[in-house]
Amino acid sequence: MKDGNVSQDAVTIERIFDAPIDLIWQMWTDPQHFAAWYGPDGASIPVAKMDVRVGGTRLVCMEVQTPGGPTQMWFTGEYREVVENERLVYTESMSDENGNVLSPSDMGMPAGHPTTTEVRVELEDVGGRTKMVMTHAGIPSESPGAAGWTMALDTLAAHVRQMIADQN
Amino acid sequence: MAIDEDRLSQTFAALANSTRRAILARLADGPATVNELAEPFELTLPAISKHIKVLEQAGLVRRGQLAQYRPCALEPERLEEVASWAEQYRPVWEARFDRMDNYLRQLQPATRGRSSR
Repeated sequence: MKDGNVSQDAVTIERIFDAPIDLIWQMWTDPQHFAAWYGPDGASIPVAKMDVRVGGTRLVCMEVQTPGGPTQMWFTGEYREVVENERLVYTESMSDENGNVLSPSDMGMPAGHPTTTEVRVELEDVGGRTKMVMTHAGIPSESPGAAGWTMALDTLAAHVRQMIADQN
Repeated sequence: MAIDEDRLSQTFAALANSTRRAILARLADGPATVNELAEPFELTLPAISKHIKVLEQAGLVRRGQLAQYRPCALEPERLEEVASWAEQYRPVWEARFDRMDNYLRQLQPATRGRSSR
């Protein structure tokens, strides 16, 4: 926890998959493969449009069954870096079915949630298996109010983490 | 995505106040009584108590059981939970990659001997 990285507000996950690197690349870039793992259990991905090239857009629909019937959530974004079998970077925002970006607070997300986030996937071959490092980070908001809020929380969180670290 | 939206809203509402955030920052240094917490603020004890009650209901602060003393202490778990939107996504991504792993096994069942590595 003592990485001094708290203000960056990102989640990084590293995994090694027992699969060749080109197949892992397809997991992210082939809509059919993507739909097989992306949605939570019980959800489906009825739409996954992926124009996988720098500047190309993506539009993903996640459909979740609720007691009131199926609920759709749409996400749009743009590919920023596309290096086949090596690195994929795209942005993500909540949107409507036409890819018009919606604000997270309108969608009931808690305050401090950035409108646009960035997903970075880096792949590396390790003896026929594939190491994947995924980083999901917020893109700083243009709104100074939102930034101040996030900073205040980050300062507090850093303080708490330090306290926990000191106890251990 | 087991995030309780109501609970999160309550927590964020509690945090949306500079006095309450200052109280939390003070409690990060260790438990304190209401009197101690009131010191740096130009507020009455009842006003501070009210803020503490909001923090308590939001799960950010707990109070001791000693009847007279009842020191306030921070509940760091809840703060950790809301301090970073990104951390809320960690379990979501972990679950996704578990599914990816399962899916990969279905796709290439016999071609790769995972136990032999």
